[in-house]
Amino acid sequence: MTVITHNQRKSRLSEMLDRPGGVSVGVALAQARANLDALQDQARAIIADNIAVLLAKPEPGLIEPMRLDLAYSASSQIIDAASPFAMDDLCTAAKGLCDLLDAAPRQGGFDWRIATVHAQAMKVLLSLPPEEQAARSAILTNLHEVLRKKLPSSDQSAT
Amino acid sequence: MSGGESLRESAVFNLGGAITMIVDDSPFSLTLTSNALTGFGIRPAFACGTGTQAKKLLTDKPIDLLVVDTDMPDIDGFELVRWLRRSGPNPNAFTPVIMTASHIRRGRVAEARDCGANFVVTKPFSPAMLLERILWVARGSRPFLEVGDYLGPDRRFRHSGYEGVERRVDMIRKAKGMESLAL
Repeated sequence: MTVITHNQRKSRLSEMLDRPGGVSVGVALAQARANLDALQDQARAIIADNIAVLLAKPEPGLIEPMRLDLAYSASSQIIDAASPFAMDDLCTAAKGLCDLLDAAPRQGGFDWRIATVHAQAMKVLLSLPPEEQAARSAILTNLHEVLRKKLPSSDQSAT
Repeated sequence: MSGGESLRESAVFNLGGAITMIVDDSPFSLTLTSNALTGFGIRPAFACGTGTQAKKLLTDKPIDLLVVDTDMPDIDGFELVRWLRRSGPNPNAFTPVIMTASHIRRGRVAEARDCGANFVVTKPFSPAMLLERILWVARGSRPFLEVGDYLGPDRRFRHSGYEGVERRVDMIRKAKGMESLAL
């Protein structure tokens, strides 16, 4: 196969990187952390809203592919909101649900009790204080077991 | 590199003048990324909620760094980056691109690999990991390759020697050149 190598100019990003001034990595990370911390309450509210979407009864007449996409989107938004705040257990649970929804047959047949179980587990994870590590681990172990039974091993990313 | 642990706290960088664009259909994710970048001293110049809006701006404005979400309803991140890489003579065709993904569907893994982004970062990721990736692409010297349908930075990260028979034309030519020099 032919490989063409494009001569690339040095990017502007690389030219400006070592210019005088700037900020140290330590300060940059502390500033970013402070900026993000200001959004933590909003993130928790978004997570709660999306868990509610997952637990809500589907609209009558909602066809299976749309129901799958809706649940997938809610689960993805949980990952988006939880990700910067070290809520890794919530991310793992939501990722597992995304894997299951992605692998579900579009024509129907998905066992929706699995989504409910994941949503309820995420609700508990959101409400648990950080020191309840044992309870968090137990929840994730149970969800992992569901994932292991319902998905072929090659499809499991949330491990 | 993983988790941002390879960053040295005292290292100083200056990306204050970088013209950065963030593309994400989720307003909250846009705010999160924007707040993290602002903390790094990078003021995002453009925040786009759709791929279409981003495409238009990428045609008109010079952009130094693009941070784009994979999953968007109109033009998704993969399609946007693939278009960008093929948009030459647009100078943004070589712009460093970091893609962020909450989850990549099984059927789209190949697209993630082949779209031409410098990095695809899957969540959860910390500000440290994002900064590490930005500094990495800023310092990056990976050449841009065109191989079949692929156009983007060299995807090979390992450069250990190959034990088999050399079949790459450029390498054979290089070796022949070295031989004739030796003679």
